[in-house]
Amino acid sequence: MFVLISILVLGILGFVFAGLLGLAADYFKIEEDPRVATILAILPGANCGACGAGGCHDFADRVAKGEIAVSGCTVGGAEVARKIAEIMGVEGHEVHKKVAAVHCGARENQRKKKASYSGIKTCMGADIVDGGGLMCSYGCLGYGDCFCVCPFNAITMKEGLPYIDPEKCTACGKCVAVCPRKIISLRPYDFPVVVACSSHDRGAETRKLCPVGCIACNICVKLAPEVFKVENNLAVMDYSKAGINCDPAVEKCPTKCIVKFV
Amino acid sequence: MELFGIFFAAFLINNILLIRFIALCSFFGVSTKIDTSVGMSLAVIFVMTISSAVSWVIFHFVLAPFHLEFLRTATFILTIASLVQLEELYMKKTIPALYRAMGIYLPLITTNCAILAVAFLAIDYRFNFVQSMVYSIGVSAGYSLAIVLFAYIRERMALAPIPKWFQGYPIAFITAALMSLAFLGFTNMFGL
Repeated sequence: MFVLISILVLGILGFVFAGLLGLAADYFKIEEDPRVATILAILPGANCGACGAGGCHDFADRVAKGEIAVSGCTVGGAEVARKIAEIMGVEGHEVHKKVAAVHCGARENQRKKKASYSGIKTCMGADIVDGGGLMCSYGCLGYGDCFCVCPFNAITMKEGLPYIDPEKCTACGKCVAVCPRKIISLRPYDFPVVVACSSHDRGAETRKLCPVGCIACNICVKLAPEVFKVENNLAVMDYSKAGINCDPAVEKCPTKCIVKFV
Repeated sequence: MELFGIFFAAFLINNILLIRFIALCSFFGVSTKIDTSVGMSLAVIFVMTISSAVSWVIFHFVLAPFHLEFLRTATFILTIASLVQLEELYMKKTIPALYRAMGIYLPLITTNCAILAVAFLAIDYRFNFVQSMVYSIGVSAGYSLAIVLFAYIRERMALAPIPKWFQGYPIAFITAALMSLAFLGFTNMFGL
């Protein structure tokens, strides 16, 4: 009898709770746009926030509402944009793939130091303590904050410099944001030329500090005037001019600070 | 005065984490960042208060009349698990902002031993309904205090030069032990 009562009481309790949950699930149901789930399934799911939305779910939600363009996901690139455009029933915009580029070419053994830094081994820490003892106040510190933050393992550190794998890089912009020296930017994937220097020091000054720094000699400007110009003692590139041949400028650069990736 | 005593006994003197050593998994699991520990604390306060109220009612009006006190473990687990589900559904619909703030912690709490422990202890101490409510609020406030303090210490420790062998959990356990010793200092406070 006692056993029966216990079975009955527990059974009834379980039944009541199950019924309550079932009712509640129906009563508190939230109507979600079914496209959100399908878009979410296509997205890379890295939750990197490069699109400006708070994670992939938020992005899918806002695309379905029409607040963000279907090509908003830089990480997914053209393929994902095309699929989302199919779901949303709009013409997909062409996405130009971008990758990160490091504007410093000084390897560990080429950097001149005025002091030795023994603090926390991060660029963020070294930058606070007078640039970690580096003479050049613009160059790469080499502690690999960008390497640590990259969610796609696209960055490798060699001789104190980050190298970016253009195939793995998705232009999420995390390394651009984390670099305390602000020497990482995004370049078009199909224009593999980079000025690997960020120094705004005068030419003579830069030459003393670094064997591979831009000395603002203007040779690149003479050889490819559409692309290069010298601003504030530093060569800068106009990446909207894709397709123009920069090889002479790359070859003739006296300090080899204009680099072409192949 | 009696309710005041119950609250402080639960809050400081018999702190659920540092003196009773219940719910240590979440104490170490979600205390690496202050934000997550605050979110977890809020969710614990919310769930613990409601679930101890409901389990008190179920114990005294369903189990006790049938003399089925021995079934309380199974019953309370059932009650708490379904209650948390219900709260989650309700919050998702009515207060989405709050759901986003503590939503991910709710399923974690379903299996949190502190919730079950409070439901048991309130019955073992033969509290009436109001007393058991005050008790559960005291316990959850004590939980919040301990875990948020611990999160502050761990955030500082993340940057401290700790010997290789002590990094991570070992130093966290040592810190927790020291905090526990400090909380022992509250014993016999208020003459309780």
